[in-house]
Amino acid sequence: MTPLLDIANLSVVFRGENEERPLLDGITVGLGRGEILGLVGESGSGKSLLCRAVMGLLPSRRLHVTGGTVRLQGQDILNADMGAIRGRRIGMIFQNPTSHLDPVMTVGRQICEGLGQHRGLSGPAARAEAVDLLGQVGFPDPAAAFSSHAHRFSGGMRQRAMIAIALACEPEILIADEPTTALDVTIQAQILRLLMELRDRRGLSIILITHDLGVVAQTCDRIAVMRRGQLVEVGEKRALLAAPAHPYTRQLVASHPSLSHAGDPPRHDGDGAQPLFDVRGLEVAFPLGGGFLRPKRMLRALKGVSLSVRPGETVGIVGESGSGKSTLARTIMGLTRATGGDVVFAGRSLMSERAAAMKALRSDVAMVFQDPFNSLNPRMTVGQTLAEVLRNQGETPRDGIPARIGELLDMVGLERDLADRRPRSLSGGQCQRAGIARALAVNPSVIVADECVAALDVTIQAQIVALFRELAERQGLTLLFIAHDLAIVRNLCERVVVMHHGEIIEDGPSTEVFARPTRAYTAALIAAIPDIDPDRPLGRGETNDNREELAT
Amino acid sequence: MSLLSLSLPLRARIGRRPMLAMGLAILGGFVALALLAPLIAPFDPILQDAGAKLLPPSWDHPFGTDNFGRDVFSRVLWGTRIDLQIAVLGVVFPFLIGTGVGTVAGFFGGWVDAVLMRVIDVVLAFPFLVLMLSIIAILGPGLASFYIAMALVGWVSYARLIRAQILVLKSQDFAVAAASLGFSRLRIMFRHLLPNALAGSLVFVMSDAVLVLLNGASISYLGLGVQPPVAEWGVMVAEAQGFISQAWWITLFPGLAIVTLAFGFSLTGDALADLMGVHE
Repeated sequence: MTPLLDIANLSVVFRGENEERPLLDGITVGLGRGEILGLVGESGSGKSLLCRAVMGLLPSRRLHVTGGTVRLQGQDILNADMGAIRGRRIGMIFQNPTSHLDPVMTVGRQICEGLGQHRGLSGPAARAEAVDLLGQVGFPDPAAAFSSHAHRFSGGMRQRAMIAIALACEPEILIADEPTTALDVTIQAQILRLLMELRDRRGLSIILITHDLGVVAQTCDRIAVMRRGQLVEVGEKRALLAAPAHPYTRQLVASHPSLSHAGDPPRHDGDGAQPLFDVRGLEVAFPLGGGFLRPKRMLRALKGVSLSVRPGETVGIVGESGSGKSTLARTIMGLTRATGGDVVFAGRSLMSERAAAMKALRSDVAMVFQDPFNSLNPRMTVGQTLAEVLRNQGETPRDGIPARIGELLDMVGLERDLADRRPRSLSGGQCQRAGIARALAVNPSVIVADECVAALDVTIQAQIVALFRELAERQGLTLLFIAHDLAIVRNLCERVVVMHHGEIIEDGPSTEVFARPTRAYTAALIAAIPDIDPDRPLGRGETNDNREELAT
Repeated sequence: MSLLSLSLPLRARIGRRPMLAMGLAILGGFVALALLAPLIAPFDPILQDAGAKLLPPSWDHPFGTDNFGRDVFSRVLWGTRIDLQIAVLGVVFPFLIGTGVGTVAGFFGGWVDAVLMRVIDVVLAFPFLVLMLSIIAILGPGLASFYIAMALVGWVSYARLIRAQILVLKSQDFAVAAASLGFSRLRIMFRHLLPNALAGSLVFVMSDAVLVLLNGASISYLGLGVQPPVAEWGVMVAEAQGFISQAWWITLFPGLAIVTLAFGFSLTGDALADLMGVHE
């Protein structure tokens, strides 16, 4: 059987002023009818670029296709008029539905646009078709959704709307570029299910671009692994995951958090010790809207959270976006003011002895942030950043600072000569290591890490998690690790705290919570993690909340 | 500090940017002329010669002479000193004040921000020139008054520009990181936030210099800035307006000088915007 889409020997180069760099190097891969092909690789591997080249949408004029063919049902489309193919025969959806939906046009009109352009439908016929499509992608009230704007919907619903828009033209192929990366796990599970249903119902062929092997293991038929512009391995999902041939694929499989049981979380023996952090009935509310002479509404981000952390513990705080986990971190760091309750750090209350508590916090607790590039001052070199912290902290004598910087860089596994580089010239992983080095420069006893691996590629994630594990074991650091990724928390933390709508709904040893969650929400959260084992199917991704959301 | 840290890549890139090279060449040319004025100028700029009134351009007087018999070429050359000074000083004080106020307003927010922003609204509520003129009228005519008036009126645009930048920057992770490391507010404001906020203002400085230059010329034209017989381009245009039908050269050459210098500033400004835009 000839494949529906046949990419042969496709090469793309970047032509700069005096250099030429290959970005795609002789890619050959096919996509059969009704097949889901997973395109896996880390950032910069060329997986998105491949799809853009197929669509004739190269992101820069400096990029040129230098060789190879792309055939759609035997017809060469590389040099064809893409207007008749783009959208009509190959549809595309993106990572961030918010920025790819027109904010001032109703969802329905955006679907009708495609219907009019490609299928000549207009008026009531287009409307009927659009409402039908909205129903197919899972909108509970398609007619109401038709006349709503994108901002009325949650991220998952927006992604559904994007899929409906792409489907409007009845494409034969759907290219989905990281469609679930920006979504919570339970929503991710729903969207992946939707894609599979659409394949079954409409015979749609799908190219699913993702960095998460778990996602492809759950949804795809075949997997293509890309690295540095080359296709390193293509194969049937089970065969490839069971026996990866290429060393890079083996590394990817090994880095996947759901499998990498590199050891149990570090143990500690400070059970009887005085709690380091004692959070009592903490409440935080933010004013929402309101304004001059208008009453403010309050958003209650934390609704009475109590938590105590003993020295040497590694605590994972998990929850979906909006659950209040970042607010909790910022409040116990004294960066956000609490509106009720209290945080006691090392015996000092942040409410009644704020100055003393802040002083202790600043010298003993350090933070690591989510976006590695954004969390370092772009105008300072790594060395300057570390030197500033050391000088400010004042424990290191002035002439000992360069040596201490070297030590810190060694500790986080960075080359010493990177001290002279600015964040922009470092990779994401290097930046995050620099961020950890800055946290360690304080010589802290506690590190609060807020989603600090979420923006990193899986292999880098695994390295950073290993670094944290090592630091926790060797230096007895207390770790508060905030993440939405439960698999990472399970590997790194001995205790897990689950947050939902500003409350702690579950708190216990990781092994216990993951094996026997006491709350339905926690169970749904765990079931929604895409496992790398294709035979452990994805949960439905439905929590009570999602059902509520679907119903409204 | 921000300019310094940029200087290396800047130097490397100037060659590849004809706009920037040309703008800098024009500005450099004017600076050279200002410095060398005593050596180049063939005549004393304020020396009157009753026998050489209103002479058209010739070999002796390349730009002709004015109604007092003064050499227009020499006056334009000497005028470069005053006009460059106006462009630089007229921008520096507003820039410094505006940057300070904008940083404080953006960083502290709340009532500090509200108060400072209302002050800015008050300044903006008056037409720019009217406000300038009333301040100069109170202080008495002269260049010093002009600089003071500029500083009092011109800072608002810088303050708004910087405040907007600081508002964005202060919620970024590196600023939160600095706070979580216990750095002082001053340090966070001026060491972490400000250097990252300056790029936009530095570009604006260039286009603002053009406006200040034209303002200076207008104020002098109205008789409130530089006083005769000192050679300044705006004064020269003003003085010669009565003779424009008989002696076009007296107004044309200082006018051309103003336009050329302004062009140099705006070329440099545009090219810098380009460069920093790429950089950000």
